[in-house]
Amino acid sequence: MQENKKKQILLVGNPNVGKSTVFNTLCNKKQKTGNYAGVTVASHSGKYVYENEEVEVIDLPGSYSVYPSSEDEAIFSKYLIDEQKNYAGVVYILEALSLKRGLLLFQQIQDFGIPMILIVNQIDQAERRGVTIDIQKFSEALGIKIIQTNAKEQIGIDEVREAVYNNEFLKADKISFETPNEHKDFIQKLASHKGFDNEYKAWMSLSLGTDLGRIGSVVEQINGSEAKSLVPKRLQVQETVRRYQYVDKILEDVISKKAQFKELLTEKLDKVLVHKFWGYVVFLLILLVIFQSVFFLAEYPMNWIESFFSWLAAFTGEHLPEGPVNSLISNGIVPGIGGIVVFAPQIGILLYFLYLLEDSGYMARVVFLMDRLLRPFGLNGKSIVPLVSGTACAIPAVISTRNIENVKERLLTILVTPFMTCSARLPVYSIVIGLIISEGSFLGIKYKALVLMAMYLLGFLVALLSAAILKGFIKNQGKTYLVMDLPAYKKPLFGYDFKMVLGKVWDFITGAGKIIFIVSIIIWFLSYFGPKQKADELVAANVHLDHSYLAKMGKGIEPVIAPLGYDWKMGVGILTSFVAREVFVGTMSTLYSLEDDAPEVKVIDKMRRDVKPNGEKVFSFATGISVLLFYAFAMQCVSTLAVVYRETKSWKWTGFQVVMMTGLAYFVSMIAYQILK
Amino acid sequence: MEEKGLHKLSGFPKNKMGKILGYDNDHLKMPNKIIEMGLLPETIFRILYQAPFNGPMYVEFGAEKSRIALREEEGDYIIVEELN
Repeated sequence: MQENKKKQILLVGNPNVGKSTVFNTLCNKKQKTGNYAGVTVASHSGKYVYENEEVEVIDLPGSYSVYPSSEDEAIFSKYLIDEQKNYAGVVYILEALSLKRGLLLFQQIQDFGIPMILIVNQIDQAERRGVTIDIQKFSEALGIKIIQTNAKEQIGIDEVREAVYNNEFLKADKISFETPNEHKDFIQKLASHKGFDNEYKAWMSLSLGTDLGRIGSVVEQINGSEAKSLVPKRLQVQETVRRYQYVDKILEDVISKKAQFKELLTEKLDKVLVHKFWGYVVFLLILLVIFQSVFFLAEYPMNWIESFFSWLAAFTGEHLPEGPVNSLISNGIVPGIGGIVVFAPQIGILLYFLYLLEDSGYMARVVFLMDRLLRPFGLNGKSIVPLVSGTACAIPAVISTRNIENVKERLLTILVTPFMTCSARLPVYSIVIGLIISEGSFLGIKYKALVLMAMYLLGFLVALLSAAILKGFIKNQGKTYLVMDLPAYKKPLFGYDFKMVLGKVWDFITGAGKIIFIVSIIIWFLSYFGPKQKADELVAANVHLDHSYLAKMGKGIEPVIAPLGYDWKMGVGILTSFVAREVFVGTMSTLYSLEDDAPEVKVIDKMRRDVKPNGEKVFSFATGISVLLFYAFAMQCVSTLAVVYRETKSWKWTGFQVVMMTGLAYFVSMIAYQILK
Repeated sequence: MEEKGLHKLSGFPKNKMGKILGYDNDHLKMPNKIIEMGLLPETIFRILYQAPFNGPMYVEFGAEKSRIALREEEGDYIIVEELN
């Protein structure tokens, strides 16, 4: 087979210009997972093959300028500049309806000497509004190859592939940004001193402010008043204004407008969606619909999955040879994994809604509505996105804080987001609520559903409260502000989002499945063997559970967990949950299935019947509430911690989060148990 | 800013056309994003909505009718005049 040639290209543009649509239609090969798109922040990559050439497409986070004002944009600039050797060129996407704004960043990149191809996307939309763009003139003015696309309809995509294949990336032959006269001397000196091959690179290194410390010798050559005017911020403003003037001149010749256009759909929708009163009503309704669907729509597939796994457990129980391994598989591993897979529909539905909301442009409106309400808690309007997506999983939620510009607000959001009820808590809540809350309903809503809703509300309130408390302890760095584009509404990519959701759900199942599988086996070993009982044996095998190593370990931590109302088995469950919360379910299934010789009794019934040595029920109301509260507050997720560390780059804050959350969990659970018992 | 016709963007009446004249003397403290997003001198704009309790303003501006949300604090940096 012929070896494919390889090439890397970058996909760059402002936020909300249809970049992800282009990315998706361009990349027909399986995308790398592991980056959490949807609530799109992290850069991700995909691949396609064209004429025996394999092209890796890096989708960088959207940005307005090379001067970063948030972590997101910092990633963008860093990649663009540092990785220049590795990519063949930049495919820059402009949206036909906002050429002006998009050209700012375009010119900065062009002046930096990076080869580019330009895509003008959604030209049909512009034409529908009476705007005609003279592509020929445009291409000449910018000195670049322009391809018109309508990514949604797959129009122009093959041309892009062809142009990439033929390396039609062009560098600008002259710099469009003219260094202001008052700085010209200095910039030229700096450029030759540092060996920059053009003036703009020197200018940018000054404007970024990062190089100031290292140019001492050059700065000395100029007089004091000139050095004083070289404030990075001032330079950036100067550059932006000049570039826009230049862009205006170009566009004058390129665009001809027949009539003033109006964004009719957006205008109409926003009359309601950002309304002082109705805006909030609609937002609450949307949340309500999401949670209704999560709990009621998901019920059907959940029942199918449940029956499948009970069938599988019975089947393996019957057909595997009798003995401990049989019990491990049919009562431990299968129900343990089933206990997780059963939540796949709920997680999927939740994620799907979040993707659609983000995609349609609605999330920006939620930020607009919530900003003022979140500020007293030390948060930014943009914090609402991580908080809401935290109800699916804290990991993408923590990553999505990257577009919060203010460092303090971002840190606060990262610290409190894991309080939101993530989907890994659902399996635990469902089991415990099933054990301690009676059937019956209030106003047609089941008690169990009410308690579950209360748990979600609790997570949200505690997130807000802890933010309000913590904000007093975090130093403020820099100003807080909100300057945000409100994109036009568009039809979300239903099919693409669905595909993404399936991928995420599969990741969740396989990830959790692996952990549960391993934990089940370890637990089984620890419970099958125990300290030697006769002098001549190394260890005792096939011991009664109460005499196993596991029991010994569990009983070792009993003094710590007894005030919370837990017996040693729950202790083991909680310990294993520090890997991931949902492991609790697998651990409990394994533990209880190992315990006695009545495999026909369902695990949940065994749990219900289990009593402490003093005759009290293990899962009494008091213990149940205590477990619920513990799982609501404790930081029990290694993956989230890893991401928090990556995003904060601080062991101090990561450690603080563990201690704060778990300490709070311990304290609250203890109080609840002691009061209720 | 007490001259007739001159205002800050924050506090500018809703649904009236206005033109950006420039920025406050303090503008080096102003987030760059304001300028990067295109709120430049000579730009025509209109405030369409404002979130309750003096929340962010929803501003439509420029020939391309871009929409932007910004807080009153940011609006304080921007000097505007009313158009008739």
